[in-house]
Amino acid sequence: MSTYRIEIDRSLCSGFGSCVTEAPDVFAQDETGTATLLVAETDDDAVLDAAGSCPMGAIAVYGSETGAQAA
Amino acid sequence: MKHDPTFWLLARAGGLTAYVMLTMSVLAGLLVKSRPFKALKPAAVTDLHRILAMLGLGALAGHAAALVLDTTVKVSIPGLFIPGLVSYRPVWTSIGILAAEMMVLVYASFSMRKRIGPKNWRRLHWATYAIFGAATVHGIAAGTDTARPWAFSLYVFAVGSVATAAAWRFLVPPVPARARRKITPPRELTPRQGEQAA
Repeated sequence: MSTYRIEIDRSLCSGFGSCVTEAPDVFAQDETGTATLLVAETDDDAVLDAAGSCPMGAIAVYGSETGAQAA
Repeated sequence: MKHDPTFWLLARAGGLTAYVMLTMSVLAGLLVKSRPFKALKPAAVTDLHRILAMLGLGALAGHAAALVLDTTVKVSIPGLFIPGLVSYRPVWTSIGILAAEMMVLVYASFSMRKRIGPKNWRRLHWATYAIFGAATVHGIAAGTDTARPWAFSLYVFAVGSVATAAAWRFLVPPVPARARRKITPPRELTPRQGEQAA
């Protein structure tokens, strides 16, 4: 089981792409610029930076085991 | 009857306040993208960016209302919205009207960003550079305080800070936090305070 579970609120995402800069293995942008997930779960700590970097606060990261929000 | 200066003062103060708010909102917007200060949370800067733009529009409404109520410069209500109807420095007042209308459009586009799509919303935001430029030209050329040192300094400072922030946004790519952590030397390698002088 991976450490983090990630959720994107696509209605908030405005295509800044900062999540892709922070965690390119986890996030990508579709043709409209909206962020998509490449994986639903990861051990990569960079997802915490990605969530913190989002100008729209559209990314939530949860601990896979605890379910508690990590970022 | 002596001319009551209240609305004339409010018109000038409203215009300058709107310009200061616009400048600060543009700066906050540029910081959202370029993230030069890592301690600032981008989501909080976005909120600040929107609040400053809203305050700017509020000051703009005050500027417009005071100009209609004042008699120093004759401005009708249609003259607030249609460029060319104000006889006082018509070119420069028209530029101000166009800047204000574009600012309303860009501000309103935030709520429409799902309908128009994030890409178009971001494209529309490019108009902000024209809005800032037009507002600056309008303030300098139509404003009656431009020759005063404090007002002139304000314009110089506003243009200088926006130009610097825009240059940073275009020339310095955002560095991912992980790469930054690698660049930062480990604590034991950093010289302790006072050690360097010895």
